[in-house]
Formats: sequence, structure tokens, C-alpha cells
Amino acid sequence: MITSEQNGKAITIKKTFSRETSVSIEIHADPTIIWMLLTNAADYPRWNSTIISIEGTITLGGKIKLKSTLDPKRVFKLKVKEAEPDKKLVWGDGQGNRVYTITKNRENAHIFSMTEKIGSPLFPLYAKYIPSFDSSFQQFALDLKKEAETIQNSKN
Amino acid sequence: MTLEQLANEFEQARGQLKSYILRITASVADTEDIVQDTFIKATEKFDTFRGESSLKTWLFTIASNLAKDNLRVRKRWVENVTDICREEVLSNRQFFQEAIDIRTTSPQGDFEIKEHIAFCFTCIAKSLPLEQQICILLKEIYEFKVGEIALILTITEAIVKYYLHTGRSKMIHIFEGRCALINKEGVCHQCTELNGIFNPKQNTQEELVKIEMARVAENADKDYLFDLRMQILRGIDPFESNAAELQLHHLEHNRQVMEKYLKKKGD
Repeated sequence: MITSEQNGKAITIKKTFSRETSVSIEIHADPTIIWMLLTNAADYPRWNSTIISIEGTITLGGKIKLKSTLDPKRVFKLKVKEAEPDKKLVWGDGQGNRVYTITKNRENAHIFSMTEKIGSPLFPLYAKYIPSFDSSFQQFALDLKKEAETIQNSKN
Repeated sequence: MTLEQLANEFEQARGQLKSYILRITASVADTEDIVQDTFIKATEKFDTFRGESSLKTWLFTIASNLAKDNLRVRKRWVENVTDICREEVLSNRQFFQEAIDIRTTSPQGDFEIKEHIAFCFTCIAKSLPLEQQICILLKEIYEFKVGEIALILTITEAIVKYYLHTGRSKMIHIFEGRCALINKEGVCHQCTELNGIFNPKQNTQEELVKIEMARVAENADKDYLFDLRMQILRGIDPFESNAAELQLHHLEHNRQVMEKYLKKKGD
């Protein structure tokens, strides 16, 4: 359960050696639709305004190259570490992991959560160069909600 | 139901099955084979038909499974297929001569812009992932419900909805960027170009006015234009229309060009 205040709002917890940003949002759609959107790499730029491109396949053990609007010149080379259909997806690199979860909230509604924790013993040295993820996370969650609910409500 | 009744029902569905499989395979020969195999398989498995779906849905399930096993079907084309094939045509005198012969001698050799719009859709839809292409065909052209498509493809309704939405969005995006009938900046105007070649005495603009999609393009939203495009496809049987032979000849050419192109690319 999330409160209306938390719904779609990103929260960042900063520590000396790490930083963790998370967002949760309620989506009125079948979890499979959310899962399909999260795991179709080539389709991301169509619906997700925070992603420039993702190359590769989002399956367990798959390697992807991600370009985000947060840092358009950089290509993040990531590995898919967990993939439990309709429930949990984790990708990351040596710096940190991004965890997506889909949990049932109530009838026809699911909570989508996204968390990314970055950190290392050297984190304090480069922390100031890493932009805030808050607005990008919020937008990601909003885009996903909009697209999943549009698909859910499409005519039969 | 008896086998005789099955044969009768199959005959009624044959036309739709043929056009459906042609739109997936882009090959007349493969279409004939798959449709024939569908009938054989249906008679073999007849005792397993429990009536949980309509017979038509069941036949489309068998045909879809056979089509999905076809190697040519699994090879996906590219969005700019019509550009690539146009380049090839320009250096292929034999193709043009054959086309002109069909145009002048065949009772199914008419050239109609609407037919070419349908032909163009068949080619470009082959650039979609196969599941998306099949879902769009079943829903938009053969008017199956989401639940029936889920049965045909043995997937959930949620996945069907995802494929439909994603495939449709991609096709709308492609046509918006390419099709000069709906976007003045569109790079492809092969339908009007070919109309000028095959129907030199026709006023192409007058012909375009007869096509609602082209007529309302300036003021209509892209979803509605896609619906109008689908309406055109629903009205055309690629084997029975007055333009069938000419368009099938063209389709055969594009398929061969694409196979050569994909082979060269090592796909």
C-alpha cells in the first residue's frame, strides 16, 4: 500500500557511501502489460520519455546498453541480474542496481516500484557529479502508468 | 459435427485463411501449402475440436501455428522495404515488362491505388515482430476479438493487448513518416507513381479524392487515419480483386528482393 503522497513521488536517501532513489506508483493494469513494457528494450523510446535507447535483450543474463536523458552522451552497459515475470526485474553494473517490482495492491491495481542504489567506497569522491534521479524517476513511473493503463483500457 | 460439415465450413473460411496467410508469408506458394496443410491438420485433429471456440477460430489457430513454423515468416523485413524494392525495380526491366503484360492482358491486372495501399501495408507489417503483425491482422482485418486472438496464439489477453497497441503504434509512426498520402512530407508516393505508369490517362488527384484516408488526411488524427487504412484492407481480397495478379506479381518481387537483402545482411 502506498499513500497518495508517495504515489509517483521520488524519494532519495543520501548516505556517505551510497545514494538510493525510489519511486512507487499505482497502476491500473494487468501486471503482464507492465512486465511487457519493462522488458521490450527496443520499444522503450516510444513510451518512455526518460530513455533515449536500449539495445540488447532484457532477459535473465542479458546485456543491455542504455542511453538515458539524464546523461545523453553516456552509454550504460548493464546486465540483467534478475527477471521474474510479472514481479521483479533487476539490472545493474558494478556501481549499483536498479530494481523494478510489481506487486498487487487491490482489485485491478498494482504498485510499480523502482529503486536504484549507487555506491562504493569511492562514492564520496564522485557523488557531486551524479545528477539527481528524482525527476527522471517520477517521469519514468508516470510514463509507465500512462502507457500501461492505455493498453489495459484499449478496446476488446 | 461431421467431417463433411467441417469441409463445408473450411470452404467458407478458405478465402479469409488464404488472404491472412498471404499477408503473413508474402508468398503465394507458401500460402497455398499452409492453407492445404491447415485442412489436412483440421481433419486429422477433428476429434479434438470441443467447440470451445468457433470453428473459424480453431481453423485460424491451426493456420497460425503452421505459419509461425514457416522459415520465411520468421524472417522479418525492414521498415523501408518499399524504398529498397523500388531501387531494385528500377534496374529490373524484366519485372516491368511482366507487369505491363499482366496489366494489358490479365482480367486481374488492373492497377488501383487502394490495392497498392493494401499491398504496401502487407510489406511494411512484415517489419513488425511476428506476434505483433499477427495480432494486428487478426484484430484489424479479420475482426477477431482480443479473447479469440488469445486463444489462437495461446497467450493471455493482456499480452494480445500489448502486441496490438505496440504494433499499431509502430505502424502509425511508420506511415506518418513515410506515406505521402497522409503526410505531405512523407517520402513514399509509390502508389501514385505507379498509378501514373499503369493508368496514364487517369488523373491521379481525382483518384485520390475517392479514397477517404487521403481525402481527410490533413485534418484527421493519426489513429483515425490508421483505422481508415485498415478499412481499405478489410475490403480487399488479394486473391480475388481485379488487381490481384498485378499486386501478387509485385509482392513476389518484393519478397525475393527482401530475401536477397536479408541474406546479404546476414540476418
